[in-house]
Amino acid sequence: MSLMLNAIRILNKKLIFSAPNNQLIKRSYAVARKRFYRKTGILYNDGKYEITLDQRKLKTPKGNLFVVDSEPLAFAIATEWNMQKEKIWLTSMHLTTLSNTVIDNPNNLTKYEMVEYIVNHLDSDAILFQSHENDDLYKLQVEEWDPVIQWFCDKFQVDLKKSRDMNAPVLDTETKATITRHLLSYNFECVHGYVYAVDTLKSLILTLACVERFLTPEKAASLSRLEEEFQLKKWGRIEWAHDLSQQDQEARLSSTILFIYFNSTSWLTKQKNNR
Amino acid sequence: MYAPSIITLRQIIHEIRRAIPQGTIKDNLMIRYLFDQYRKFNTTDQQICKAKDEVTFAANTYLCYLRSSRMHQEIHDQYHGKGERSVQETANMVGFKLPHDPK
Repeated sequence: MSLMLNAIRILNKKLIFSAPNNQLIKRSYAVARKRFYRKTGILYNDGKYEITLDQRKLKTPKGNLFVVDSEPLAFAIATEWNMQKEKIWLTSMHLTTLSNTVIDNPNNLTKYEMVEYIVNHLDSDAILFQSHENDDLYKLQVEEWDPVIQWFCDKFQVDLKKSRDMNAPVLDTETKATITRHLLSYNFECVHGYVYAVDTLKSLILTLACVERFLTPEKAASLSRLEEEFQLKKWGRIEWAHDLSQQDQEARLSSTILFIYFNSTSWLTKQKNNR
Repeated sequence: MYAPSIITLRQIIHEIRRAIPQGTIKDNLMIRYLFDQYRKFNTTDQQICKAKDEVTFAANTYLCYLRSSRMHQEIHDQYHGKGERSVQETANMVGFKLPHDPK
């Protein structure tokens, strides 16, 4: 019922005005809501953390209660909500939206399906395809990408081959099995994070290098944009296109890496008890 | 000179202060939590210094998130279309003056 009401409210507010004389046609964007709360906080309940906006509890788009397992993640999400000024821009709140996706799971994905999706990315991993047209670019790619590929091979004891033409490098089943096992050792939340990170970087190798702390998020993002950066040096840089997409990519990636961290380890709660 | 971890902490506080509408970090939960964590890991033994590395990395990642989000928003605000520009604004953009402006 409330969903219906919401839909009607949005329809009334914006959607499409097609006047009979075709003079006014507006595009349909969801209206950003006003910030309706003053303070944000977190609650500890039943081993999980909830977010509060004033006295209300935060809920997901499907109406489930918003809960996360990790304390620092809850703090970071409460801070995200606190950072909204007049309007609530959900598109800028990557930690919230990721958690929403995990809680609601709108595509009804299972962990195994997601791992399969991620591992299939390895065949067409961005950094395994290197330029065959431009020798300067190739040199740069060898210089910047090859150490990461080498690290990946050493870390997971696998053998990856790169390609300089349209043919994808052939991966043996052993390699895929190793990476699948590694990814399956993570929980459901983290695998969701991996999907998001791989889609952001277009590379599983860079994602894993970043999660394993071999690369910083800034470096990983810049490596995934290596060709773009190379071309920019020649053709020039435009702030509202290149810088915008760079910052967006860095924000998405770093938030996802944090998300995977907070959901995968218990280092922040454990370490003190050992003393 | 401050240790690198302290510099990161200061930068995170700086970003949070810029980002929140209250503009003051008094009673801010995140800041209090950060201080707690920093104190905790400051007193940790060398034995678990792997954990310290992890925390430093997480702090830097969080800083990267805050900073990139802010810069993304700034660029967006600067360039995002706000409808048609006035004659005055257009003239200013290309360095012209209107007939009635002083020379």
